[in-house]
Amino acid sequence: MRSLFRGRYLVPALLLVSVGLFGLLVFSPGSSSAASGSSAPTAGSSGAGLKTSTGQFPQTPGASSSPSQSPSGDGIYNVPLPRSFIAPGQALFAANCASCHGGDAAGTERAPNLLSLGAGTVDFWVSTGRMPLADSSIQATTKPPRFNKLQSLEISAYVQSLAPGGVKVPVVNLSNANVGKGAELFTLNCAACHTITGAGDALANGAYAPTLHYASSRQIVEAIRSGPGNMPHFGPGNISNAEMRDITAYVHSYIQHPVNRGGFGLGGIGPVGEGFVGLLIGVGALMLVCFWIGDRT
Amino acid sequence: MSDESVTAEPAGPLPIGSLDDPHQQPYARHPGRAQAVAAVSLIIGILGCIGFGIAYWISDQTQWEAITLGVGLLGLGFGLTAWGKYLMAQGPFVEDRHPHNSSEEEVKAMTAAITQRGGIVVGRRKLLGGLFAFGSLAFGVVAAFPLIRSLGPKPGNALFVTTWKKNSPLVTSDGRPVHQNDLEVGGVLTVFPKGFAGSSPDQTILLRIEELTAEDPPLTLTSPGRSDWTALGYVAYSKMCTHLGCPVGLYQEQTVELVCPCHQSIFNVLAGAVPEFGPAPRPLPQLPIKVVNGFLFAQGGYNQAIGPGFWERP
Amino acid sequence: MIDESVRWLDDRLGVAKGGRTLLDKIFPDHWSFMLGEIALYSFVVLIATGVFLSLYYIPSAHEVVYHGSYLPLRGTRVSEAYSSSVGLSFDVKSGLLMRQTHHWAADVFLGSIAVHMARIFFTGAFRKPRELNWIVGITMLMLGIVNGFLGYSLPDDLVSGTGIRIAYSIIESIPLVGSYLGFFLFGGNYPGNGIIIPRFYILHVLILPVIIGGLIAVHLGLLVKQKHTQFPGKGKTEHNVVGTPMFPTFAAKTTGFMFMTSAVLLLLGGFAQINPIWQFGQYEPFQISYAVQPDWYMGWLDGALRIMPSWEWVGWGHTIPLEIFLPAIVFAGLTFNFFYLWPHIEKRHTKDLASHELLDRPRDRPKRTAFGAAMLMFYFMLFCASSTDVMANFFNVSLNTVLWTFRVIVFALPVITYFVTYRICNEMRAAEGIGKRKRAMVVSRSETGEYSTVSTEPRPGDGAHELDAIPVPTYINLTPEELETGPGVRRVMR
Repeated sequence: MRSLFRGRYLVPALLLVSVGLFGLLVFSPGSSSAASGSSAPTAGSSGAGLKTSTGQFPQTPGASSSPSQSPSGDGIYNVPLPRSFIAPGQALFAANCASCHGGDAAGTERAPNLLSLGAGTVDFWVSTGRMPLADSSIQATTKPPRFNKLQSLEISAYVQSLAPGGVKVPVVNLSNANVGKGAELFTLNCAACHTITGAGDALANGAYAPTLHYASSRQIVEAIRSGPGNMPHFGPGNISNAEMRDITAYVHSYIQHPVNRGGFGLGGIGPVGEGFVGLLIGVGALMLVCFWIGDRT
Repeated sequence: MSDESVTAEPAGPLPIGSLDDPHQQPYARHPGRAQAVAAVSLIIGILGCIGFGIAYWISDQTQWEAITLGVGLLGLGFGLTAWGKYLMAQGPFVEDRHPHNSSEEEVKAMTAAITQRGGIVVGRRKLLGGLFAFGSLAFGVVAAFPLIRSLGPKPGNALFVTTWKKNSPLVTSDGRPVHQNDLEVGGVLTVFPKGFAGSSPDQTILLRIEELTAEDPPLTLTSPGRSDWTALGYVAYSKMCTHLGCPVGLYQEQTVELVCPCHQSIFNVLAGAVPEFGPAPRPLPQLPIKVVNGFLFAQGGYNQAIGPGFWERP
Repeated sequence: MIDESVRWLDDRLGVAKGGRTLLDKIFPDHWSFMLGEIALYSFVVLIATGVFLSLYYIPSAHEVVYHGSYLPLRGTRVSEAYSSSVGLSFDVKSGLLMRQTHHWAADVFLGSIAVHMARIFFTGAFRKPRELNWIVGITMLMLGIVNGFLGYSLPDDLVSGTGIRIAYSIIESIPLVGSYLGFFLFGGNYPGNGIIIPRFYILHVLILPVIIGGLIAVHLGLLVKQKHTQFPGKGKTEHNVVGTPMFPTFAAKTTGFMFMTSAVLLLLGGFAQINPIWQFGQYEPFQISYAVQPDWYMGWLDGALRIMPSWEWVGWGHTIPLEIFLPAIVFAGLTFNFFYLWPHIEKRHTKDLASHELLDRPRDRPKRTAFGAAMLMFYFMLFCASSTDVMANFFNVSLNTVLWTFRVIVFALPVITYFVTYRICNEMRAAEGIGKRKRAMVVSRSETGEYSTVSTEPRPGDGAHELDAIPVPTYINLTPEELETGPGVRRVMR
């Protein structure tokens, strides 16, 4: 019995356990953590009249709520930002954005023209932390946002005030969303870049499609309409507001909180992760058993 | 080589497994301890199996079912194996190997049986032998016909045509006709000919490169002779990758590239969906489109076979 | 009671003598001889879980409305194959456990075959008289890979359906007959008339398992008839087998191992989610997901397809898509043909036509070991190449960088592996006392100040001890001559 714990089993067993743990940690999505993690740390009031509600979604199969058609309203409301946001927004813009985008937001050789992009576009880039951006030669990544929700809206209001048009900041109500329709639309329009599990993947020329596991509903809607970076622009003629609500509800529920009824999710990157686990943990553990049962000579 | 040892003991069954025989000794230095461990393991196994029975009835959770049954079988297995490894006779026992081959006479006799008996008979009746051989061959050949040919239809020219033809309206996968205002610049949409939404060979990807009006010059694509195949800044290509047929659904609107998600072939849209990287060999065939009364239509079908290469493709 | 049963059987079938031979069969105990058992017991688990699944799965592409528990699918039109597979995962008690255990068992089955095959290769167990068993084994590997592909394609989900599309294109790429074969198999232009799912099903549950099962019987039968090989050691010669008898020792260990294999597969099946088809959705030929690869045992083919340059031969009114045909058909065919022919190739190269019952230590055949290691590295690199996009994302480099890196290392790393392995083998052979415990050196100084060292005596128990070759206790005292025979009966020596 003691031989089980002697050195010759200890090393392969430790190797197996550590590789296995590493694999499980690396491949598991962080989706079990809060879905809206990328929203800025709140600083006080939410501003006048702004409501965002996270959509309800059925947590377990067979739960009482069922997807229903929206009776009226498509869940996306473009509320214009209060005029009181413009002045603080201008100050923030001058201090943080003007050095690259120009004092008039019309762009310089370092950064593009922001006029007519709309408040929603700006809010997406700022609230996900992509802006301010240190190095514009590579694709901007999500990082801890420098500005909180309110400040992001203020900057957006200022830029919107400079020129009309563009994507508005949406208020998203997911309560009447149809996640079934959302799943179909997601598969047709989004999965080819973001993967069917929303894990994200590399694109051509050094670009990449980011993971969807941390985006808030508002950011999802803003991204769909504004098409940041290499993402296509999906206008209302392509994906209507109701359809966008359905996609957002699906992402917010089944993408960010997938039903992993079978155990650890293994990262959602496809069968290559499963092969890794099957060979190292499955065959590996059984080989350890062989070491124990059999002789070494 | 003798096979069994001849013992000097009297006739009658020997006592089996005499504990004094050094080769019947167990492996464990403390058999009592080993037995205890095996016993505990078997008890855990029993509890695990009973636990599975309970978990099956009261919970719908895969994880509870797995942990109970898994621990149960692990316990039973470990206990049995430990019994075998530590408590049963370990030997070493020896078995003799006999040469695999038979004696020379046997081999000669076997060969002779076939050649002489068989050879004589067939040699006398060469006609019958030949006819039967030919018959078997004939049967073998025709037996393949139902096995293979009945499976499905011949390709004919099915690989060369799609349902797209002149004036086919473009519709979405829901069957909705596509209007010229539907896509913004940088937009992408999967389209089909009307009545065939969802049909695999007809799948087409529609891109809006620029927002052009009827008075503007058309999109400049670098492939010659195709300036009138676009309409109002819209361009349409077959969505079926020319490598292995995966849908080329990934559109990068800033670099104006289509990427196939399967093996990462990159197609340059403005150059006529020419593959610039990856294993795809040919550009995506382009569908000529036009706008009539605000809606998009095809000017005709594809001018070549879509999708991956095959022998009959010229 | 045992006596009566034995008599009952023996009176009818004459099992006593042959049966005892079987019970007395000696199995050597080295741990690496158990790798094939992992495969065998994984196959048993596959059959057991597979029977369960086959009672629920409906092999039809006919569309129905999904009414099960998974909400995003409810009310949508899906194929019966997909609907029943999702139903197994959510609405059948212990269905998901069985489904996942089945899939993990397939992955481990093929993984253990690969490890077992490597053991056979590196120890030279494929040499005469065991070439036939090697051929049977390679055939099982091939059929296992195909059956695995067919199996995970049955649920008709987005990820596996993409694989079916690729398989169709590969078939289509065969010169002269490709388009015909594709149309025949699928019942028309892709996706065909829906017959492909039922055809995959019957191949997967009946035709291939029966063939594999039969081959397993042949494989084990040959093993019993020819007796197992063994490593050289004290008391072990080309003319004996040293180990433990089938009954009771080996039977106990191997049955226990079967339980433990099942347990590991069940634990994987319950805790490591595999192939969550409900997240993928029903397959539609115009939809696709990114980050899709085939299951690991097909990964080497997908990797080959990805790194292959886009050469396509066009001439005289015909096309041969070499970027498909070469990696997927020619290379795959060469691979298996090479595996099949290896015993013959080695015989030609080493001119060694003798029978071998003793195994080589891998280090004693450095060229074979180095070559095998290089081949393993080659196929492993191709397997890694099947996830180029995931790697580009993980390491934050461009797709182009990853692809070109793989194009280089798929050839460079095996070459390096060959030389490194060769060197290691030779060093291991050349080193004195390698693998044994170090002995202390007694240092003494002479009167003139010179140092000298002397090795101490080996520790008790470190030296190899003689193995007394004791035959398995026999319980027949009569010599062969004393056995009675009747007229016209030929006595066969055991």
